[in-house]
Amino acid sequence: MLITARLLANRHPQFIARTVFVKNNNVDDACRMVNRIIGKEGILERFRLNQYYEKPFQTRRRINHERCKAIYNEDMERKIKFVLRKNRHEPFPGCH
Amino acid sequence: MLNVLRKTLQSPIISIQRLFNTSPILSTQKFDIKRIPLDDEGVQGEKIVDLDSVIKSKQNLFPTLESDDTLFDGIPYKSLPICNIRVTHNNTIITLTDAAGTVKLIKSCGIEGFKNTKKGTNIAAQTTAISLATKAIDRGFKTVRVKVRGLGPGRLASVKGLQMGGLEIVSVTDNTHVSWNPPRPRKARRL
Repeated sequence: MLITARLLANRHPQFIARTVFVKNNNVDDACRMVNRIIGKEGILERFRLNQYYEKPFQTRRRINHERCKAIYNEDMERKIKFVLRKNRHEPFPGCH
Repeated sequence: MLNVLRKTLQSPIISIQRLFNTSPILSTQKFDIKRIPLDDEGVQGEKIVDLDSVIKSKQNLFPTLESDDTLFDGIPYKSLPICNIRVTHNNTIITLTDAAGTVKLIKSCGIEGFKNTKKGTNIAAQTTAISLATKAIDRGFKTVRVKVRGLGPGRLASVKGLQMGGLEIVSVTDNTHVSWNPPRPRKARRL
């Protein structure tokens, strides 16, 4: 409730999102955590994309490439999982 | 016929000869549920970090409802002075403001004496931060919260420099301006 009230009162409330407290004077860790958060949320990527105008043909190409990559990665992940699977009911398949 | 006979004769002999049976036991006969390994949770590498586990394990890392009024060095969090760091590829500008936002101190790599491309280095950012921190301590600021904006070489170095200069940093915030439907940015660089 209080948070919603605060959000309604201020369109750009500070020190709520993307904030990490420093523990034990370990600034490096806190910075790394912040970087990780903004990297994971895609904020860095957005920032980089918006620095220069991306022409529509470039957008199309980028998105198509991302799609292909995602499909490839998904299949490859499945393949690797299959090859590296360890939980076999028969520990030595094909050895008898 | 002969073959079959020979086989029947041979088979007991073989079993007698072989005291050590190197071939694996048929798994269906001696299947033990304990032999199934536990779920592999993977090794936590340096780059791969599960944020959820971090959130679970470490409390008080992120702001909550009460964090506004928690005391740091006798001052509530919301009225701590703010150190704004503006990082670009070519420069780093650090300002120290009070909680309301009025600027008390300002320093940049250019002011510090670095010229041209040297402004946009992490060393320049660090020395700037250290000099600002010493000045701030003279003025009576001790604990600050840090707000970082932008990407560049001085991003980590300046925060580090503030700490090296003697300021106590309570929290680090990213304040990079991002929009998902921005106005048209400037045209792309031609390389």
